[in-house]
Amino acid sequence: MILEALIGFTFLAALLVLLAPNAWAGRLAFALSTVPFVGSLYLWSRFDAVGNALTGGTIAFESRYEWVEVGGRTVSWFVGLDGISLPLVVLTTFLVPLAILSAWTPVDTRQSQFYGLMLFMEANLLGVFTALDFFLWFVFWEAVLVPMYFLIGVWGGPRRKYAAIKFFVYTNAASLLMFIGFMSLTFALGDSIGSLALPEITQAIADGGLETWFGISPGRIAMVAFLATFAGFAVKVPIVPFHTWLPDAHVEAPTPVSVLLAGVLLKMGTYALLRFNFTMLPEQASALAVPIAAIAVISVIYGAMLALAQKDLKRIVAYSSVSSMGYVILGLVVFTEYGVGGATFQMVAHGLISGLMFMAVGVVYNATHTRMVGDMAGMADRMPVTVGILVAGAFGYMGLPLMAGFAGEFFIFVGAFGAPSLPYAPVFTALAMFGIVIVAGYLLSAMQKTLFGPFRLETDYEIGRAPFHDVAPLAVLLAAIVVLGVAPDLFFEMIRDAAMPVVEGVSVDV
Amino acid sequence: MVDAFAYVPAVVLLPFFSFLVALGAGKYLPKGGAFGGIAATAGSFLLSLWIAATVAGGRAYDETLYTWAAGDQFELTFGALVDPLSALMLVIVTLVALLVHVFSLGYMNDEGETGLPRYYAGLGLFTASMLGFVVADNLLMAFMFFELVGLCSYLLIGFHFREPGPPSAAKKAFLVTRFGDYFFLVGVVAVFATFGTAAFAGEGSFPALAEAALAGDQAVWTPGGLDVMTWFTVVGLLVLGGVVGKSAQFPLHTWLPDAMEGPTPVSALIHAATMVAAGVYLVARMYGFYALTPTTLAVIAFIGGFTALFAATMGVVKDELKQVLAYSTISQYGYMMLALGAGGYVAAVFHLTTHAFFKALLFLGAGSVIIAMHHNEDMWDMGGLKARMPVTYYTFLAGSLALAGIFPFAGFWSKDEILYEALVHGLNEPLLLGGYVMGLLAVPVTAFYTFRMVFLTFHGEPRTDLAADPEPVRWNVKGPLTVLGSLAVVTGFINMVPVQKVLGLEGIDYLHRWLDNEWGGIDGLSSHHYADLGPYSSGYIAGGEVPTVLVGAAVSLGLALAGLGLAWRLYNVASPTEHTAKLGGIKDVLYNNYYLDELQVWIAYRTEDIAGGADTFDQGIIDGVVNGVSSVSLAGGSRVRRIQTGLVSQYAAMLTLGLIALLVLIGVNGGWFL
Repeated sequence: MILEALIGFTFLAALLVLLAPNAWAGRLAFALSTVPFVGSLYLWSRFDAVGNALTGGTIAFESRYEWVEVGGRTVSWFVGLDGISLPLVVLTTFLVPLAILSAWTPVDTRQSQFYGLMLFMEANLLGVFTALDFFLWFVFWEAVLVPMYFLIGVWGGPRRKYAAIKFFVYTNAASLLMFIGFMSLTFALGDSIGSLALPEITQAIADGGLETWFGISPGRIAMVAFLATFAGFAVKVPIVPFHTWLPDAHVEAPTPVSVLLAGVLLKMGTYALLRFNFTMLPEQASALAVPIAAIAVISVIYGAMLALAQKDLKRIVAYSSVSSMGYVILGLVVFTEYGVGGATFQMVAHGLISGLMFMAVGVVYNATHTRMVGDMAGMADRMPVTVGILVAGAFGYMGLPLMAGFAGEFFIFVGAFGAPSLPYAPVFTALAMFGIVIVAGYLLSAMQKTLFGPFRLETDYEIGRAPFHDVAPLAVLLAAIVVLGVAPDLFFEMIRDAAMPVVEGVSVDV
Repeated sequence: MVDAFAYVPAVVLLPFFSFLVALGAGKYLPKGGAFGGIAATAGSFLLSLWIAATVAGGRAYDETLYTWAAGDQFELTFGALVDPLSALMLVIVTLVALLVHVFSLGYMNDEGETGLPRYYAGLGLFTASMLGFVVADNLLMAFMFFELVGLCSYLLIGFHFREPGPPSAAKKAFLVTRFGDYFFLVGVVAVFATFGTAAFAGEGSFPALAEAALAGDQAVWTPGGLDVMTWFTVVGLLVLGGVVGKSAQFPLHTWLPDAMEGPTPVSALIHAATMVAAGVYLVARMYGFYALTPTTLAVIAFIGGFTALFAATMGVVKDELKQVLAYSTISQYGYMMLALGAGGYVAAVFHLTTHAFFKALLFLGAGSVIIAMHHNEDMWDMGGLKARMPVTYYTFLAGSLALAGIFPFAGFWSKDEILYEALVHGLNEPLLLGGYVMGLLAVPVTAFYTFRMVFLTFHGEPRTDLAADPEPVRWNVKGPLTVLGSLAVVTGFINMVPVQKVLGLEGIDYLHRWLDNEWGGIDGLSSHHYADLGPYSSGYIAGGEVPTVLVGAAVSLGLALAGLGLAWRLYNVASPTEHTAKLGGIKDVLYNNYYLDELQVWIAYRTEDIAGGADTFDQGIIDGVVNGVSSVSLAGGSRVRRIQTGLVSQYAAMLTLGLIALLVLIGVNGGWFL
């Protein structure tokens, strides 16, 4: 019942904050949001899953209640954790309190609604990462969009309406595509499944349960389902060329929303890709390995080149997420221990690092009211601590060793280079790795122009140091990034355990 | 008995603690945390001496200390490898770091500098990272610390971040070396994929596996079934990318002269004695792998020889003290690369050692002059400092004689051995002989620019009021200079191979014996083993070994003296004038560094243009399609925006309501509310 308690508490907290007066909604939200974090640490300490939840491993904190029967299939409340989902649950509960803290300064209207929606979103995100029934999972998946839409559309920048609509319509259309694709798969499974539980579906497919459906062969249905779900999730990740909603959403979203958008929401896409496409349909994934690896490489390089062209600090960080997510896709498609495990680790690492970057840029923005590279210079003179952490975070983004980003990227590279299931793996890997040079190029030059040199910024007020509640979350995030970089096995051990069955889903003829 | 090797981690961690102390509490401590750094590096130095003594006592150490990621596919670990090579390097690094910390007391603290805690934190982190690199027992760990020293270099070059120059130089330094490190990282990944391990030493190490694979005793992965030799050559060249970047070899040397924007003690420590040596050290560390692939060795030798000459020519026309030293550093590392490529493993390590001392000395001497000149570095504003700062002058002179390769100063012995190795092995290898010729041609050029620098700075009449009445320097400057000055005189005596060969005195080639595990070491990591692996055979001129030694030494010494003599004639006068104009158009080429910086800037701008094009494409085409599709599907007309807004709000509301209704329905159906 502990997962129900976790999710239920977060919903309740959202409701409480929504009803609280604006004046202390922020403080209340922060206080309440620490509870799920402590809860997730408790989950971590008692974590006892073995293997992958979908492929018949032992599920931790498993809890299942049947709801209804639809067309001969039971739908249940079915939640549980394995080594892939626990790190993401911890990431979510860790980032939300920090994001809430970072909202104290910039959010100055309708606070109770803002913080209520943040917590509502957290509850749904926890649902996405714990749900093991397709229907339940889909409900949470869709429900994440609603608070996000309002958070961007109400508290966003000048073009918030456009960005919010674009985000909502684009990702929702993608969800529809994914839903259709997945449903066709479940229909083709016929009598071999009695429920919409993800483990049952996965194992039924693995046991050859797909049947000819309306005259379409099982292989073709699986391929169509793979393509539809892949395209659907690709928007969420986002993978080039489905990425254009992301920079708009980030630029318009207030800082704390960007933190969660980049830190957690993008991981919904990669998490779903891993669960659905790469775990359930490994044969199709491996048949399409070359084109998938190609778009992964394109995402890395193209995303980095776009980041290089930007003048808005937030846009730079936003595009670099596209680049980083390309690494994740590459890691998934190679089907090796370090590839799939590294991709999962990179989800967490990138969640922390991009969260830190958005937050730090937000703190600078709070003081300067501009994010344009040309508008300011020498900020290190006025905000030494913030800038120091921003520089550290940027190096984390560039993959500095002993920070989490390097671990994730290196795991992916080392897992991908000699991968037997991907033709031309060394070439794809080496090409994708060039991203580490471009990321250094755009981050270093953006830092040089804005943070260093003689101070220059036209304001009619003095720029002071950022308040403690702005800087503290930055320091906490940085510490977490270093800890995970020095000791990646804190998460990577359980991730590997859950990733191995996925890897074994692909047989390689050597 | 207490084991020295148990303290290997402490050698690395002591400076790391001084970093933490300076960062966290530096502003409350006297001198911004300097004494913590001095204590830490002194501690590391003493421990290193102890460790080296233990190695001399016949032992070595190779232990995995920490498992970073314990995968089944690969196990990624940190460990310490202490053998004669790393023990020697530990002593060099900790000694120079200690002296630089002391020197910084005079250089940084006397200037009323702000941000000292940041400075000492940077030095501490650098020293820790460098030491971590030195003791690394596998290629991944080496790469990780290699990157960390790059970070520290960035932070320290950009120390004066309020000025426009240093941040720009810092960016360039990191970016250019990152470009090299990209190849290095691909190489690391390739080593894992090929061998399943990246360990340097032992039976299962990757050099040992590579040796077995070439002998046909071991199967390894190669991409697309590539020939083993070809693939090893590729891997070797990939790792070499990082070496070329960090050790500032052509064509990735351009960052080093710019890095002189950093404080001078930083230049001495990082950009002369230690970090730049990391590349060369890495090749030496995995020499058992490089020695297997003749093509890689030839490339290393050729790059090295070319860089030695190429950088030396640019040093001839520079006006600023530190610029001359920067180009000379590039040039000297070229010699070390030449030695490594020529099979002269010991010669390279020898020159690394002597150079670390005499170049750190020259930089600190330059720092002393810069203090005296109130941070004016232009040599044409100096002159006559000899009488006014004798300690600096005589130590600087010792360093200069070493750099120029004048008998019997340290640089003479090490440079001579490099050229000798290149010559005897090059007689059978044309590419290597090319490297030798370039290395030899660089000798007179080196002596010339070195003494041009000495004469312009210290001799003649003072050319400005500042030079006539320089700021005095204190013990904390003179002390380190004296120590390094003595070392610049005597270090060469650890390896007097020519004397041994000519006079037949056995056993005075101590460094050879040290690196050949004569006292202690690890099997497979000895100079003899490397010589056995290497592809070279020796040829001699003038009928034998001894004449070759004598002729080689005489030629290089003669050329050095010729360069010195020319500098003497042109610049050792009361009021020297510029002679560079005599070079005509060549001067402009040299002064502008062969326009290589311009080329790199041009490449950077073109990359930005491509990025701009990609952005236009992205906004116009890709996002245009997205917006176009959405307007067609949602409204199909001109009033898209308004209609969209209305639609989506309803849409969102309906979605929420629908979900809630569904949940309620399911709840009722499932008997939840009963």
